[in-house]
Amino acid sequence: MDDHLYDEENFTSNKIDWNVWKKIFSFMKPLKKQVLLSIFCMIVLASTDVIYPYISKFAIDGIINPNLEAGTRDLSQLGYFIILYVIFMVIQATMVYLFIIFAGKVQTELAFNIRQKAFTHLQELPFSYYDRTRVGWIMARMTSDSRNLSEILSWGVIDFTWGLFLMVILIIVMLIINLKLALITIAIVPILMLVSTYFRKFILKAYRSIRKVNSKITGAYNEGITGAITTKTLVLENSNYDDFNLLTTDIRKQSIRAAMIQGLYFPSVIFLISIATALIYYNGGNMVFNLSISVGTLYLFTNYVWQFFDPVNNIASIFAQFQQAQASAERIVSLIESEPDITDSEEVTEKYGSLFDYKLENFEPLKGDVEFKNVTFKYHVGEKVLDNFNLSVKQGESIALVGHTGAGKSTIVNLICRFYEPTTGVITIDGVDYKNRSMSWLHSNLGYVLQSPHLFSGSVMENIRYGKLTATDEEVIEAAKQVEAHDFIIQFEKGYETECGEGGSRLSVGQKQLISFARAILANPRILILDEATSSVDTETEQLIQNAINKLLKGRTSFIVAHRLSTIVHSDRILVLEDGKVIEEGSHRDLIAKKGQYYDLYTNQYSEEMLELSIQ
Amino acid sequence: MDNTKTLSTDPKKSVGRSLLLMFRWMGKYWPLLMIAFVMLFFISYIRTITPLFGQHIIDVILKFSDEGSKLPPFFQQFIGADTVAKQLLLAGLLIVSLELFRAISIFVRRSITAVFSERVGYNLRNNLYRQLQNLGYHFHSHTETGDMIQRCTSDVESYKRFISDQIIEVMRLVMLVGLSIYQMARLDVKLMAISLIITPIILTIAIFYFRKVEKMFQTIEQNESKMTTHVQENVSGARVVKAFANEKFEVNKFKDLNRQFTDSDFKLVKKMAFFWSGTDLICFAQFFLIAIAGIIFTVNGEITLGVYLAFLAYAGNIIWPMRQLGRLVGDFSKATVAVSRLDKIISTKNEYADLIDQTKPEIQGNVEFDHVSFKFEDSTYHQLDDISFTVKKGETVAIIGKTGSGKTTLMNLMVRLLDYDSGSISIDGTEIKNIEKHYLRENVGIILQEPFLFSKTVEENIKISNRNSDENRMKEVAKIASVHDDIVHFEQGYQTLVGERGVTLSGGQKQRVAIARMLLKPKPILIFDDSLSAVDTETDKQIRSRLKKEWKDSTVFIITHRITTAKEADRIIVIDKGKISESGTHNELILQSGLYKHIWEIQSKIDFQVEDGEVHG
Repeated sequence: MDDHLYDEENFTSNKIDWNVWKKIFSFMKPLKKQVLLSIFCMIVLASTDVIYPYISKFAIDGIINPNLEAGTRDLSQLGYFIILYVIFMVIQATMVYLFIIFAGKVQTELAFNIRQKAFTHLQELPFSYYDRTRVGWIMARMTSDSRNLSEILSWGVIDFTWGLFLMVILIIVMLIINLKLALITIAIVPILMLVSTYFRKFILKAYRSIRKVNSKITGAYNEGITGAITTKTLVLENSNYDDFNLLTTDIRKQSIRAAMIQGLYFPSVIFLISIATALIYYNGGNMVFNLSISVGTLYLFTNYVWQFFDPVNNIASIFAQFQQAQASAERIVSLIESEPDITDSEEVTEKYGSLFDYKLENFEPLKGDVEFKNVTFKYHVGEKVLDNFNLSVKQGESIALVGHTGAGKSTIVNLICRFYEPTTGVITIDGVDYKNRSMSWLHSNLGYVLQSPHLFSGSVMENIRYGKLTATDEEVIEAAKQVEAHDFIIQFEKGYETECGEGGSRLSVGQKQLISFARAILANPRILILDEATSSVDTETEQLIQNAINKLLKGRTSFIVAHRLSTIVHSDRILVLEDGKVIEEGSHRDLIAKKGQYYDLYTNQYSEEMLELSIQ
Repeated sequence: MDNTKTLSTDPKKSVGRSLLLMFRWMGKYWPLLMIAFVMLFFISYIRTITPLFGQHIIDVILKFSDEGSKLPPFFQQFIGADTVAKQLLLAGLLIVSLELFRAISIFVRRSITAVFSERVGYNLRNNLYRQLQNLGYHFHSHTETGDMIQRCTSDVESYKRFISDQIIEVMRLVMLVGLSIYQMARLDVKLMAISLIITPIILTIAIFYFRKVEKMFQTIEQNESKMTTHVQENVSGARVVKAFANEKFEVNKFKDLNRQFTDSDFKLVKKMAFFWSGTDLICFAQFFLIAIAGIIFTVNGEITLGVYLAFLAYAGNIIWPMRQLGRLVGDFSKATVAVSRLDKIISTKNEYADLIDQTKPEIQGNVEFDHVSFKFEDSTYHQLDDISFTVKKGETVAIIGKTGSGKTTLMNLMVRLLDYDSGSISIDGTEIKNIEKHYLRENVGIILQEPFLFSKTVEENIKISNRNSDENRMKEVAKIASVHDDIVHFEQGYQTLVGERGVTLSGGQKQRVAIARMLLKPKPILIFDDSLSAVDTETDKQIRSRLKKEWKDSTVFIITHRITTAKEADRIIVIDKGKISESGTHNELILQSGLYKHIWEIQSKIDFQVEDGEVHG
């Protein structure tokens, strides 16, 4: 997948890409029945729209005019009129009801299918995908694109069918009734089409550009609000306002221009149609006078002229919408078809089941020996991060990874988690290449505690339970107690039912960390990854966290991207990394005694305190 | 968050006020709207004349009746000629020219409306932005960003749409219906009455329906936002999902939410189907009545054929718009909600309102807190209680205390992000409540723990405090803040974009950029709100020693958790539960058995392990 595909602006091709549409149509297969039925309704409706003025023609030529000519008051034909009218009304109302139901079903279910497919696929995509795709991009596919697409494929298709059939039926009926008047009327159709398409294109372009500015304005508001305090403290109110004003001025000018172009469209169409109306009156009037047509026919044609407006307008706007929807379609297809570059092989899936349906009964117990054998790794773009890396970790051992940013700490962790796979070389767990077991097998035995804890919206209870979905309330509380989170949780007004998501910002960073520890301990993993936070918490919370970490590490193979000295000190083995290589290795005591890099790193950082201690 | 609810409104109470606001926000542009109304009148008038041409042609020119023309005499005079063909030609030409006039009027009307609504929208957007910048700390800490953005974008759109499209549409329909009724009355009063029998019912049903639909929309939106929140969290927490192998759980949960949203959407479709087909039936029943009555009247000679046909046209002008009017009533209530939501932002007192006696005294840097107490509006206890201390120009004061003890609040009081309830804070003898706020903040710099960087380049972010500073100085301050090396390692160096579209800086990098930008504009008083917390202790120390030189004349407040930082200060203030529990130098405080000593001991224990290499299980 090329990276440029991730940019909104690059989806502006004008040609219809049938491959993309084919894939989208495949989502409609289960809805075939509804699509066909709604199309059928529209054909019926197009016919009744043509028949309706004809009922009036019947009244004029069949009831009124004969009486006027003969000077009689014979209403015997009125019964037919009533029957015709009532039948028309019933068919009309029924068809309207049905087409809305069918098209609505298509719209909502299609959107459902697209979203479900996209979301499921997202779960299969490897972590690297999330690394290079913005959250906003994914969100837009799930919301606006799936909506646009399902709307155009339901209501759009319906409108199109109706418009097309209405025009065809109208033209046929007119040609049958009166050739000359029919030709006059039909003559304006191509002109109407031309005008409509021209304007639609223009309008679409204008609004696309307005939308771009609009999203910049939204961004500016976002910054204005989230950065409000910073703005105040730096006294940037005026310069920010000036920047903002440039955007609003731009959108104002563009919107006025677009509205004026659009404002030209409707009047031009009216004018065109009025010319046709005048021609019908002139020619038709003469024909009525010459008795070559009835007055009812004249009435019919003056009606039919106006009936061309809606279908032409619809069809023109649908072409424009389709062009727009194609962009949505392309983006959705690009999401759904992103190939996961890390997958389980077929044999593995056969034995262990898929991500969504794993066969727990076939999972071997994981002991926790981890070994890197000649592992080389590089990210999508860029240089080798690890080169011929070897590491052997025994069950239950805790490893602290120490080193500067970019030394390879996160990469090692990502590889162990199989968020990424080695470019060459193998990683074995309990002596078996982990590619020979399923990802679910690894992940269900893995605990991962993040630097900045990610909690989901939902209660504290639900968030801890995320570590083990089948856990009872008691187990959850037990886990919270183990990491000493229980005490502060029950102090909340709602206890374990306290909200954690965006609305739950009352939780402090330290509290969130403890909750994520509880979540990890509940999962009871064999391998634990701890990406430690540097963020400052007060000294007492720090103690709690320290205690929790010690609990977590006990008896588990663990890898810690460490920042806290005490964590490092407690680990069994410290790896000092630089440029993807282990430059020093050993226990804290050994490394301090060695007076090498590690000694420099830490005595440097804590020299003052050591000095202080020696004074005492 | 609970407090956001105070920002939502009961729409019923505020309809009158909303109307007033709608008008007020139009500002000086309202005459444009009036011009548009006048244009609308012409447009509707011409439209209601056209059916009379049909009547004239059929009854008079084609001689279906001798009752005479119903066209206004003014128009009749143009159609006089000796032959039928010529008369028809003249009638056709007149229709075309009237329609041309109508078309031009429509264009002009639309252009005027566009100018009107865009100008008003422009002012509203700008006012909102300015207001959001001026609203105080309390407002910003109690509102959700998403909600505010929603208001500033879609609510503004709703308002704009209302004052342009929807008001115009209402006026257009009212004029069209009114003029059509007028013409019908001219033609035949009895048939007019029949034409209007069912229309009120259609209108009532439509109003009722669109109200109901509005509520359904709210449910749908809620369901949709639940679903999107789930996606959002799933994507941003992908590591967690994967690491716990909870993909299946996530998909199932999503499926439930997706289904819920889809079903509520389809429920609306069903309502729509029922409404549109039902009202179609009623509308056609009205046409049906007119047709039957019209046919009978015509056959009885009460009205002419031309009049009958004109009636059919007028009925169309009245019946179909009724459903539209019903929707517009719904739009109106939507717009009033939007307006009152916006009003909540605009009419919230911003922090510059009611400021009197503002001065701009020269600021040296002597600070005095005198029995200062502070309580959050929604809190029951005092966040800060009776705080008093004095700091002389050039001194460095460290403030240490537990999370939530009130340290940050204390500093926020100094830059008046928050205002104390009692006591006084004065700088060089002037009470800060009397100092002009912008001026105060220009002189008292504060670097936040989680500083905000704008989505601009790194260079622009540093230069933001002083756009005129030169490149060398900028690099110099970046070096002082130890962030230069980080920046030059980015592919585009100082031109790297910060934020979603560019590079995401780490917490420590952000903090250092924030320090650099503060350095570009020297200030007599500086506050570090734990603003080196994400920087390692070694770098922290280096930065501080360099800053000391840069800011040797400034009064500096440092909020910190690190004893090493606190130790170097001229004075340390320990805050505990909103009160000053200890104060003095490091050496004084470690002799007291207070909180400071406790913290110091814990932190030293860690250090001790380093020296000793001792491992505790």
